[in-house]
Amino acid sequence: MTTSQTSSADAVSAKVTGYGISYAITSILNALLVILKESNESVHGLLVAITGHHWITHGLLDVIVFVVLGAVLSRRDMNLSGNTLITSVVGSTILSGLIVVGFFVL
Amino acid sequence: MSKELILMLHPTFGVLAMIAAVWVFVETMNVSDANIARLRQASVLTAILIWLAYIVGGYWYVVFYGGDKAIIKAGPWPFAHGLFMETKEHLFFMLLLLATFLPIAAYGDVVKKQVTKKLVLWTSALVVLMGLGMEGAGAIISMGVKVALLAKMI
Repeated sequence: MTTSQTSSADAVSAKVTGYGISYAITSILNALLVILKESNESVHGLLVAITGHHWITHGLLDVIVFVVLGAVLSRRDMNLSGNTLITSVVGSTILSGLIVVGFFVL
Repeated sequence: MSKELILMLHPTFGVLAMIAAVWVFVETMNVSDANIARLRQASVLTAILIWLAYIVGGYWYVVFYGGDKAIIKAGPWPFAHGLFMETKEHLFFMLLLLATFLPIAAYGDVVKKQVTKKLVLWTSALVVLMGLGMEGAGAIISMGVKVALLAKMI
């Protein structure tokens, strides 16, 4: 099997890659926003001011970032292997989960 | 619709979504041209059910949870809010996005490409595991209210 054949077999479509990376980035941003809004009253207040509830704004921001970033990244040639994409999706889920849980435990 | 019914719909949609995600996982393990349509339908169903759980649970959280929060914080299990509810309400966003990503991945070339198949397996498995975590956290939050009310009666 040639290198290009291996690369082709290990690649996923641009759309799947784009939204997968978008998920990985958004989940980390979600965790960081938790820390930011829970530690900074003005950020919390800003989120409340936008929709009336911090959690609604937080969720809307996550969905908007995921959709917009996914649409943008889907149009780019990411040149990312499928296994790297899987590692990014699983790794970001574990990492952001640990960040959120760790923040509320400590 | 009563407050209690709205509250019960949240975990109901959540459990149904987990069952749908397990269905996606099993279809993916045995994926072929014969079952790819069914796999994709199950992945869309998973996303719809998680979105319904989010909307119903979110409505209940924003409108009604304040009272329960005060009860939990005054009771013997304040961590039911401080740790479990705080974590649940924020990790749910990840579950929502992961479930939204599931049909996107399932509409990739799952039959011919092993790596896309692996991605769908991982994504559906994460939806199930996170869903189980949400259900467990929900049970602890409910117990937080219960023990607080029982403590008041004693």
